[in-house]
Amino acid sequence: MKDALFLRLRKRLAVKPEAMIALGDICQLFWDGEREEALKRMPIYQVKPTDGNLIVIDIMQVIQRVRSVYPEVELEIQGSPQIIVEVLNPRKKANPVLVALVWVLLFIGSGLAIMNFHTDVSMREVHERIFYLITGERSEQPLWLQIPYSIGIGMGMILFFNHIFQKKINEEPSPLEVELFMYQQSLDQYYIQNENKENQRTKL
Amino acid sequence: MSVWECGLLVLIGLGGGLAVGSGLVAFIAVLDIIPRLTQLTNAHRHIRAFEWALVMGALFFTLIDFFHLGAHWPNVVTAVYGLFAGIFVGTLAAGLTEVLNVFPILAKRLSMDGSLLFLLMAVVFGKVTGSLLQWLLHL
Repeated sequence: MKDALFLRLRKRLAVKPEAMIALGDICQLFWDGEREEALKRMPIYQVKPTDGNLIVIDIMQVIQRVRSVYPEVELEIQGSPQIIVEVLNPRKKANPVLVALVWVLLFIGSGLAIMNFHTDVSMREVHERIFYLITGERSEQPLWLQIPYSIGIGMGMILFFNHIFQKKINEEPSPLEVELFMYQQSLDQYYIQNENKENQRTKL
Repeated sequence: MSVWECGLLVLIGLGGGLAVGSGLVAFIAVLDIIPRLTQLTNAHRHIRAFEWALVMGALFFTLIDFFHLGAHWPNVVTAVYGLFAGIFVGTLAAGLTEVLNVFPILAKRLSMDGSLLFLLMAVVFGKVTGSLLQWLLHL
């Protein structure tokens, strides 16, 4: 027991195309304080152009490699049983024209959506009614109420997303960041299930 | 009106109110608006007060609406009301899952991670512009 090698796989790794993935890249190691340094450079996987941009490395592969070099070593494995390696292809830069198009799309779409919503819930009648209840006057177009209301919609959305154009109100993540994280997590789980050939086997 | 008819009306009114009231609360709960606002204001201890605000608000405006309890205040008061109403509807619109779900996919598929905030502003400005246009042009 005294010389167990402790391994802890990281969650994600991003590498360049055709990189050599070493043991130290995919996991944290502790042995006896000295020998890990050499072990960290042990090659585990060579990224090939045919691999696509996602590779799942299973802990079993790592165990095989380590055992083939140090047959006697006792392994203590911590953390998740696999790691997702993302191959960063020469980063596709988002096309500014495309971004502009999406911007216009979202702008028009959300404007349409809010107008649909207002019509759907008869917002104008409600505004007229409230204007009458507060001022005692009838108005077909209570702009005193409606212009601040419209600005308020924007303020409310910014408040909800916790962004005043970059500046954060506090440290906690905004719902959008949480949503991005959840989406990434679902994707990762899908990869682990489907990209890892060892996870599925059909015995005929 | 006989006693039976009155009784029936009370029953229908009560039942309808119960359904609408619980529906309203469920709707607001689904959108996580109250947790979000408490998180932003660090007011976790006052969450009960916020719940009551919701209930009292619904009740108060129902009462003044049904019993025609009008006031004769200057127009500026409606501006204050409008701003608050707008902020609430803004959080409502932002909380809708359609909005929240579109962005992660947009970010990944079109590799637009960097310009997310920029795109978010499109939605915000779109809402403000759409709303202003609707009222100003009296659509």
